[in-house]
Amino acid sequence: MRRLFLSLHERLQLIIIASFVGVCGGLASVALNRSLSAVSTALQPHTGHWYGFLFPACGAALSAIFLNHVVKDIGGHGVPEVIYAISRRGGLLRLRSSVSRLVSCLLTIASGGSAGPEAPVVISGGSIGSNIASFFRLKDRHRIVIVGCGAAAAIASIFNAPVAGTIFALEAILGEWTPINLIPIAISSVVGTEVSRILQGNQIPFQNRVFPISMIDLVACLGLAGLTALGSVTLTRMLKVVRDKSNTLLPYAWVRAGLGGLLVGLIGLTFSGVLGEGYEVIRVIIEQQYSPGLLIIGLMIVAKITATSLTIGSGGSGGIFAPCLVIGSFTGLFYQRILLDLFPSVSWAGEGYFALLGMAGVISSVLQAPLTGIFLIVEITGSYQVLISVVLVSMVSATISHLFEPFSIYHQELIAQGELLRPRTDRRILSELNMVELLEEDCHVVHPEMRLKDLVATVQRTHRNYFPVEDSKTGEFLGMIHLDDIRSYLFNPYLYNTVLVEELMDREVPRVSLEDDLMKVFELFDKTHSWSLPVVQNRRFLGLISKATILDHYRKELMVQEEI
Amino acid sequence: MKNQLLHIFRNTPFGRETLLQSVYFCRETGTSLVVYIPRHPQFLMYFQNEVVTVDLDRAFLRSPKTARKHAEDIIRGGGLEPNFFEPKGFTASTLPDIPVDFSYMCCPRTISDLSTKIGLGYIGPRVRKIIKNCTFPVLIPTPVYKEWKSLTVFFGGSHNAIQALTVGMKVSKLSGFPLKIFTQAEKKHYSYYQDILKKNALYDGIEKGEIEWLFFEKGKFRENLYNVPHDTMVVVGAYGHGLIKELLFGSMMEEIQTILPNNMLIVGPNCTP
Repeated sequence: MRRLFLSLHERLQLIIIASFVGVCGGLASVALNRSLSAVSTALQPHTGHWYGFLFPACGAALSAIFLNHVVKDIGGHGVPEVIYAISRRGGLLRLRSSVSRLVSCLLTIASGGSAGPEAPVVISGGSIGSNIASFFRLKDRHRIVIVGCGAAAAIASIFNAPVAGTIFALEAILGEWTPINLIPIAISSVVGTEVSRILQGNQIPFQNRVFPISMIDLVACLGLAGLTALGSVTLTRMLKVVRDKSNTLLPYAWVRAGLGGLLVGLIGLTFSGVLGEGYEVIRVIIEQQYSPGLLIIGLMIVAKITATSLTIGSGGSGGIFAPCLVIGSFTGLFYQRILLDLFPSVSWAGEGYFALLGMAGVISSVLQAPLTGIFLIVEITGSYQVLISVVLVSMVSATISHLFEPFSIYHQELIAQGELLRPRTDRRILSELNMVELLEEDCHVVHPEMRLKDLVATVQRTHRNYFPVEDSKTGEFLGMIHLDDIRSYLFNPYLYNTVLVEELMDREVPRVSLEDDLMKVFELFDKTHSWSLPVVQNRRFLGLISKATILDHYRKELMVQEEI
Repeated sequence: MKNQLLHIFRNTPFGRETLLQSVYFCRETGTSLVVYIPRHPQFLMYFQNEVVTVDLDRAFLRSPKTARKHAEDIIRGGGLEPNFFEPKGFTASTLPDIPVDFSYMCCPRTISDLSTKIGLGYIGPRVRKIIKNCTFPVLIPTPVYKEWKSLTVFFGGSHNAIQALTVGMKVSKLSGFPLKIFTQAEKKHYSYYQDILKKNALYDGIEKGEIEWLFFEKGKFRENLYNVPHDTMVVVGAYGHGLIKELLFGSMMEEIQTILPNNMLIVGPNCTP
C-alpha cells in the first residue's frame, strides 16, 4: 500500500494524507468536546457544594500526575511544542502526545480549570499528522505541512471555522504562506470541519444579532483596541510570572498544578464565570443579557486573567484561545459600559458588538496573529457585518501590544532559547548544516621541530594555506601556520635550516569544536577576519572549517529549502 | 578522533562498569568519548523518521552531586580526557534533545527499566527503538567490565550482515584487533557467501589471511556459538523488526544476544557505516 501511495505525485500524496489527517483531527476535537461536556455535566450537581472549590485543584493535580507519571509525556501546554517540532525537528512529534494531552486537558477543564481545549487538540492533531507522515516516510518539508494540517483541522473542527483553522496553521504555526502549504492545509481544515458538522451539527458557536454600526462606533473601536492590548499584555506577562515562580518555588509538577487549581477554585467561589472554558458566559454577553455592573465586569476581567495564568502557568493542561475570548468579551463589554456612562446620548452599536471586537482584539494580540483573530471572530459569530470593525481592532490591538510584548505567547520561550527558526532564514539554514560534514580533513599537519625547508616542501605539495601544528609525541594541537605569515621567509633559503616551525606558528589561533553552533563559528570568522579555523576536540586537531565550504553548503541548503 | 561515542552515565556501580567499557572502546579505537549526565528523567532523540522518547531508569539520576566526579575519575583512569555533553535543544524545559549524529552510542541492555532486569536475552524496548532508528552502531556492553581482544562479525549474507561486516572491519582497523567472521551456512554453499563478499569488495582480507572465517556447514547455530571466543566483541546486524515479528520469524541477533555474554556492537537497519 505504501509503495502504491509513494508512486503518486507528491502533491497528490499530500492532499490524500491531509484529508485523512483532517478526519483524525476532527474526530479528536469532537471526542474532546463530547468528553468535556459529559464530565462537566456529571460534576455539575457537585459544584454547588462546599467542596466544589477543590475540583479545579484535584483536576489539575490529576492532569499533572497523568502527564508526568502515567504517560510520561513531559512538555508544555502544546502549541509551542508543535512550533518547535516544525522549526527544529522536521515536524517530528511523539505519538503519545496525540492522546495524552486530550486526557490531561479533559481533567483540567472539566474540573473547572480556566483554559481552553484548543492547544491540546492542536498538539493532538499535529502529532497524528506527524506520525502518519512518518509512516509514509514523507520528507521533512512535507511532514511539516502535514503537522500544519493536523493543527488546522483541530482548530477548524473545534470552532466550526475552516478559514480560521487554515489561517491559524499558516500564520501562527508554520509562519509561511506558500501554495504547497495552503492547499493541503485548507483541505484538511475543511475535512475537519465537516467531520465535526456531521457528528455535532452545523452550529455557529456564538450566533449574534444584527448591529446598527455607525461611524462613531468605528472611531470608538480604536479605544477598545488600546484596552484589549492592555489586557493581552497583562495576561501574557502574568502567565510568564506564574510559570517562572511556580517552577522555581515548587519542584513537583502535581503540587504546582494542584496549588494553582486550588487558587482558581477560590477565585471561582466569588466569580464562578471564570471557571472552565467560559463559552457560556460569552454567549450571554453576545446576546446582551449580562446584567452585572461596570465594577463587577472589571473584576471579572482581572479574575479571568488571574485564573488563566494560575491554571496554565502552574502546569494545568489547556489552551489560551478560550480564555482570550472570555477576557476579550468582558473587555468589550466593560468598554461599552464606559462609553454609555460617558456619552449617554450617543446610540452605540450594542454590548454584543463590542464584545465581539474585544474578543478579536485580545486573541490577535496574545497570538500576534491578527488574521487568525479576524477570521475566527467572523466565523464563530457567522457575521461579516462586523468585519471592518474587527479588522480595525485586531490590527491596532496587535500593533500596540507588539510594542510591549513583541512576540506571541507561543513563540516567547522558543525565541528566548533561539529555537524559533523560520524557513529560509539565515539561522535556519545554518542550523541545518552539520560541523562534521563541513570538516576539511585533507590537511597537512606539521610538527614544531620541523625546519623551514621541510615546511616549504610541504607547502609545495599542497594547495592549502593553513598548516596545523601538532606535537609529534602526544598528537596535541599546538597552533597554526598561515601561508601569509611565512611568505617573507619562503624566499630566503638562508633561513631554511635555521628557522623551526615552532618559531613561526601562531599559538593563540582561535579554535572551534564539533559541538559549536555555526552562528558562533561565523561570529568568530568575522571577529578574527580569518577564512579557516581549526576544529579541535580533546586537544586533538580534527580538521579545518572554512568560510568557503560553509557558504557552498549554505547555498545548497538554501536551494533545497526553496524547492517548494 | 572525529568519531564520537555517546555514553549516558548512570552513577551506580553498574554504570561504572558500562562507562569503563565505553572508555576501553574509545581508547582502543581512537574514538572521542562524549558523556551525558542526565538531569531530567527523560530525553528525546530525533531520528530521521521517528522521535524516540527515552524514559530513564531512576538510577541515572541518582547522586547528581557525585556523578560528574565519578565519571571524570573513570575517564581519566582510562587515559582519556573527560568531555561532557550539555544539551542545547529542549523540546520542553525539562525535556532535553540529544543529537543523533554521533558515530557510536553505548547503551546497556535496558535504559528505561530497572537494572535488575538486565540479563541475557533481554534488550529493552527503548534500546530496540534506538537500534532500529539510529544511523550509528550501538555498543551493548557486558554488565561487568571485560576487555575484548578481537572482533567477531556474524555474517549471514544479508544486507544488514554486510553493513555489520563493514563496521567490524572499520573497528578492527581502528583498534588493530583481529577480525573473525562467523557464518552458519543455511542450506547454502560456501561459494554463495563468498560471492556476496567478493561482490561487496569485502573478501580481500580473507584471501590475504588477515581475517579468519569461521564457516559452519554442520551443527546447530546455538551449539556452534561456543566457538566464539570469550574475549571477542560481537558485531551483528539487526533488522529492527518488532518483537512479535522477531518471535514469529526468528532473528540471528535475538539468538546471539540470548546466548553470548560478550560485548556486542549492533548495527541497525538504518546504520550508515
